[in-house]
Amino acid sequence: MSETSQMSETSTTSDKAGHPVRGQSRSIVKLSGIAKTFYRGSEPIQVLDGLDLDVPDGSFEALMGPSGSGKSTLLNIIAGLDRPTGGTVIVADADLTRMSDGQLAKWRSQTIGFVFQSFNLIPVLTAAQNVELPLLLTSLSRSQRAKHVATAMRIVGLEDRMHHYPRQLSGGQEQRVAIARAIVNDPKIIVADEPTGDLDRKSADDVLTLMERLNKEMNKTIFMVTHDPAAAERAGVRRKLDKGALQ
Amino acid sequence: MVPIQYNARSLLVRKVTSLATAGGIALVVFVFAAALMLGEGVKHALTTAGRADTVIILRKGSDAELSSAIGNDYIGLFRGPAQVSQAGGVIGEIVVVITAERAGATGVSNVLVRGTPPDGIAFRPEIKITSGRAPRPGTSEVIVGKGISGRFKGIAPGGSFELRRNRPLQVVGEFTADGSSYESEVWGDLDVIRNALGREAVVSSVRVRLNRPADFDAYRQTIETDKRFSMKVMREADYYEKQSQATSGFLKGIGLAVAIMFSLAAMIGAAITMNGAVAHRTREIGTLRALGFSRRAILTSFVLEAIVLAIAGGVIGSVLVLLLSSVSFPVLNFQTFSEIVIRFRATPAVFAWSLGFSAFMGLAGGLFPAIRASRVSPVEAMRG
Amino acid sequence: MNLATYARANLFRRRGRAILTVMAVTVAVLIFCLIRTAVVAWNAGADEAATDRLSTRHKVSITMSLPKRYIDEIRQVPDVKAATWASWFGAKDPKERIPFFAGFAVDHESWFDVLDEMKVPADQLATWKQTPDGAILGDLLARNLGVKVGDRLVITSDIYPGDWPLTVVGIYTPLRKTADRNTLVFRWDHVNNDPRAVYSRDKIGWMVSRITDSVHSADISRKIDAKFEEHDDQTLTMSERAFQLSFLGGFTAVLGAFDLVSLVILLIMTLILANTIAMSVRERTHEYGVLRAIGFPPGHILGFILGEALLIALVGGLVGVALVIGVINHGLGPFMEENMTGFFPYFRAPASVLLLALGASVGLGVVAGAIPAVLASRLKVTDALRRVD
Repeated sequence: MSETSQMSETSTTSDKAGHPVRGQSRSIVKLSGIAKTFYRGSEPIQVLDGLDLDVPDGSFEALMGPSGSGKSTLLNIIAGLDRPTGGTVIVADADLTRMSDGQLAKWRSQTIGFVFQSFNLIPVLTAAQNVELPLLLTSLSRSQRAKHVATAMRIVGLEDRMHHYPRQLSGGQEQRVAIARAIVNDPKIIVADEPTGDLDRKSADDVLTLMERLNKEMNKTIFMVTHDPAAAERAGVRRKLDKGALQ
Repeated sequence: MVPIQYNARSLLVRKVTSLATAGGIALVVFVFAAALMLGEGVKHALTTAGRADTVIILRKGSDAELSSAIGNDYIGLFRGPAQVSQAGGVIGEIVVVITAERAGATGVSNVLVRGTPPDGIAFRPEIKITSGRAPRPGTSEVIVGKGISGRFKGIAPGGSFELRRNRPLQVVGEFTADGSSYESEVWGDLDVIRNALGREAVVSSVRVRLNRPADFDAYRQTIETDKRFSMKVMREADYYEKQSQATSGFLKGIGLAVAIMFSLAAMIGAAITMNGAVAHRTREIGTLRALGFSRRAILTSFVLEAIVLAIAGGVIGSVLVLLLSSVSFPVLNFQTFSEIVIRFRATPAVFAWSLGFSAFMGLAGGLFPAIRASRVSPVEAMRG
Repeated sequence: MNLATYARANLFRRRGRAILTVMAVTVAVLIFCLIRTAVVAWNAGADEAATDRLSTRHKVSITMSLPKRYIDEIRQVPDVKAATWASWFGAKDPKERIPFFAGFAVDHESWFDVLDEMKVPADQLATWKQTPDGAILGDLLARNLGVKVGDRLVITSDIYPGDWPLTVVGIYTPLRKTADRNTLVFRWDHVNNDPRAVYSRDKIGWMVSRITDSVHSADISRKIDAKFEEHDDQTLTMSERAFQLSFLGGFTAVLGAFDLVSLVILLIMTLILANTIAMSVRERTHEYGVLRAIGFPPGHILGFILGEALLIALVGGLVGVALVIGVINHGLGPFMEENMTGFFPYFRAPASVLLLALGASVGLGVVAGAIPAVLASRLKVTDALRRVD
């Protein structure tokens, strides 16, 4: 199932223009010896134990596994939402374990784009305002923000729905707005937790096609946790997590 | 894998909401009950002194001892009729207000001084000398009621003050009178006091003990129709009842007005909480309806929940207000413009009213949310 | 859009709850201002009382009389510009149209000279001098008793027996806000000459004098009392303001209770605000988690919540203050001023009270929002995201 669980740092081959050829580029995510323990009451539960992971830049990865295997935990660690109990986490050349919460928040806003299973759009804001949210953390002017929002909405194909409220959109449309929000800051990595979990087959296909485009045309690294075999099919790399160990 | 904190925090927030709402109601009940207790205190202070078998005689046309004047000679005539208890006695007293300087604060106020005959203290069995001793009849010795003792310069056991130039009075003791208004008075010898004030041979009022309370009508008839004088005869209890009305009404009126205004805010608070509960539990309610519970059952259940929450607040407020039981509250007696000291008085009626009031607040605040709850359709049970 | 837009949009998320909370704040502000205005108005009576007028009464008791000849002696005191006297009559209306009013027997020749805040037309004063049983009433009292100049008025007394018929020769109007408008005055000599007044012949109740130097009113008071020190009937002289303050002293407990109660309503308001904010924070914890994931730092979350709290409190406070101005200053106030002149000559919510109320509502809004805000911002992002509430 998995094609590689470790990517060796072989020499980078370039094409004539000097761009790195995909498949042999550097790691954008490098986890070593990751351990994560949760406590139920006073009883410790070892969710991850001594896990290593290398994700090449520009990869489209799918992570599958039974429920309770620690997929979401791993996702959270990669995205800087949670800290491991042990091990090192280097994402986009940043050592996350050494960063404070405030630094992590700033780093997230610049580096990561989130796509959630339940879309998580803010109901009292329009689609455009939702997409604009991450830009409020930058120093862009209002007109600059508007331009970025328009671009993002165009990429996901929903320019005509900019001023609709989430309740006026279908599930698939909501998720595409969420994706627009995820890319509006031009992050390096898109982290998706069951992006097609709440969608019908057709909408799921549209969303996955969109994600493929983001990966191939905009060179975004995508790390996706999913149960959906069809979604996993679209990914370039498939991994399985079982009982805290990557296969 | 979900951390325990999540559950704990949710519960905690729910408890906080209930506590905040009950707390608001508790505060309103506190004010409400305090106002009632004050009213009861005034009534108690001003009516305890009144007995059913005792009448008070004032000059006709006077409303209070302070403005009445009766010639000394008439006292013997009041003693005559058959209804009078010879053992119980007849006493004539002089009542004046004097200007006294406050102790520990600037300014002057009025203090009520009562000149009483030698059997005056015994006439009221509830009088207890709690410090020092009783004054010797015919001397310038006086005793001070516990309520005002120490509040005015020189008017405390061991002190002395001038009734008039070269007429000093010595305070030899302190007394209690079962919490009645007597405790806000200074008592001394009848002759010494009225002579000092140039009112020899005059008393303000005469109190007569009858054989039985039922003898009142006959006695009053005899005295009020006597052509030799113009007098007004009242039951002591009725006299004090009238005296207390102005002050008691004032205090109770203000207190209740405040409490009722407060209750408006508390009811809004209860409505907010219950509305939130309904919104939060929409799926729960839908399920109950799907299972077969009627709209009325839902309505009743939510109204009861609001009432129980409110009564819990009412109980807290009632317990808190008990702390006021020992607090003294000086006010101006509007009848005599002298200072009387009231004590907050808790009675079962106060608590009954308080709990009833809190239940009402719960009902009023929770009614509309409960109606909303009853309108939830069973379909809501299926919503994700 | 900016953060303010987000805060405002959130306010209308649960419109019913927002409206109810604003109402609660409004009610609290209204009550608070009412109570504080009552306290301020109560004390204002003393502030307005004169320091250039002294009141002299019997040292032992307000109920005891002074010899009439004292007025001549007090008029000889150099600092005294003018002096007059009055005796308490205990006036009652036999028809009981009103329960209580003040009735004095006064010196008709000097009373309105000294008590110059009451204006009587000169011709009415002249008529009074010709009419032994003449009486002059305050304009409000005349209205309540339904009498006008020329009418007959019969009163009774707490002190003297029988009926006392009088002729209304004048009506006085107030020249100052704080002037009393509910008093009846008639001629002292008319009472003094009556056989029923045998026990109080040539006795007066108290004297009122106007002095030249109000700064030294205390010293002049002592000088006056010293004059009568050696007599059997000693005097107690104080400026009118000093007497008012003494009177108010009997109410310190009532006023203290009012102060306490005004704090209680603020506490109730804070509880309601905190409750509302805690509820909405709990409902939106998941959303805050999303914002944190996107990169909003905890401080921003804190700011959102406090901002909403502030907005509700501010709106409630402003509406409350507007209502106060309408209800008290234009409704209740004039009513109180007219009908309870003695107690509340001024009954308007002063700007200081309004500002205090507004400041309190905003400040307490922040306090109420503080704990939920801090707890929400401290929550771990992953926990917040898991919250499904």
